[in-house]
Amino acid sequence: MAVSANRRMSGFSELGLGRAASFAGMLLLAVAIQSTLLAQATVLGVIPQLVLVLVVSLAFLDGERVGIVVGFFGGLLIDALLPGAVMGLTALIFTLIGYGVGLLRYMAPPDSVWTPVLTVAGASAVAELGYATLAIIMGQRWVSLEETVKIAGLVVLYNTLLTPFVFPLIKRVADRFRPERVIRL
Amino acid sequence: MYRKAGRGRVLLLVFLALSIIVITIDYRAGSGGILKTAREWSVAVVAPIQRGFTTVVRPVGDFFASIGELGDLRDENQRLKDRNEQLASENSQADETLDENQRLAELLDLQEAWPAMDNVPARVYAKDAGNYGEGVYIDKGRADGIRPNMPVLAPEGLVGKTLSVTAHESLVLLIVDTNFGANARVKEERDTGLVRGRGSADPLTMILIGKNSDVEVGDEVTTSGLDEIYPPAIPVGDVIRAEVRGGQASKSIDVEPFVDTSKLDYVIVLLPDGKHVGGQSVAGED
Repeated sequence: MAVSANRRMSGFSELGLGRAASFAGMLLLAVAIQSTLLAQATVLGVIPQLVLVLVVSLAFLDGERVGIVVGFFGGLLIDALLPGAVMGLTALIFTLIGYGVGLLRYMAPPDSVWTPVLTVAGASAVAELGYATLAIIMGQRWVSLEETVKIAGLVVLYNTLLTPFVFPLIKRVADRFRPERVIRL
Repeated sequence: MYRKAGRGRVLLLVFLALSIIVITIDYRAGSGGILKTAREWSVAVVAPIQRGFTTVVRPVGDFFASIGELGDLRDENQRLKDRNEQLASENSQADETLDENQRLAELLDLQEAWPAMDNVPARVYAKDAGNYGEGVYIDKGRADGIRPNMPVLAPEGLVGKTLSVTAHESLVLLIVDTNFGANARVKEERDTGLVRGRGSADPLTMILIGKNSDVEVGDEVTTSGLDEIYPPAIPVGDVIRAEVRGGQASKSIDVEPFVDTSKLDYVIVLLPDGKHVGGQSVAGED
């Protein structure tokens, strides 16, 4: 069935069933890898946030609508699996990041290999410090300031180092399930 | 780039509102309600993938864990080159089996140390995916008699308590988590207080009831049995600092936990009276 290029579509219908399933699969896989393999491959005890790299990558590739939806559900999944976390907090942060990255991509130089890497670095810093700030404001018991800064710094570094390897894989899957756009004559 | 920016504002507002609704429900419902079910479903959905990864990648994980010892490994590697490859492989497998046997023997001792309570041995198959929460997933759940808020022990001492429990998996809140709290006693002094986690990088903190306590560095801290979760005399850790901070009405104490929460493998879950192993009906179900 032909899809009009100028048709206004919601975030869900824009995804399509196959794409939604592929994004959900990538989210589950990312959470599983983050909590098993990467949880053992820590740097100074810090786990990289692969789900955030996935959210940023998909927002960068497919825009703010996909970024918002994947960010919300990715964040919600992380919240549901964390002990003692306020549910919805990571979802809120990742939703904003998905939207922000989706908009920023219009200003990024096209086809630059550095753009996704720098975007992940910036988004990681915003996500880590934003989460810590909101959690403290909401009265959560929190680790020391030194520990927070150490974790944020290492997450930015680790996420950034992962991106050159992970981004091409995500792009390949996203391209595989991207719906064909047919101009209606 | 085929789309214009700014079309996602409505969608953004919808999902921001959804996030805030979830946060509000979580605050109002506490540990129960619809979000409890959502948490349990999430654990159950991700568990098969996590367990698959753990089975496949455990040796890879061990490799990563050894990256910090690369210098030593290089020397070791040089020596190993002289050995027969097959023998080295067999030796490695034998060592691994011996280590595992040792851990299982310790676990058996631990189970026998708690004859008055039913308990369930379990294996850790994943860690929580975050850097601020401190939790692990174990491969036993509701079908084995486990319910939320049950004590979890390792051979060295207290590990934490169960949180979300599905049919075959449980999420365990570790003692180092900032949300962890247990009533505890300094063994030598009989003083009681509250021991709390401060994150994996810092020792536990214990607030004693009285400021005139004679607690000293090196004293052992155990659970007191005064709360409704942990039975008395479970080893928690050693006092590594004890002082009265300015203006405080109680003594502030740092406690180094006996359990290394970054290297958990096998644990047991203590089942309070009335709970039975093997999926039988459970009294006082929450």
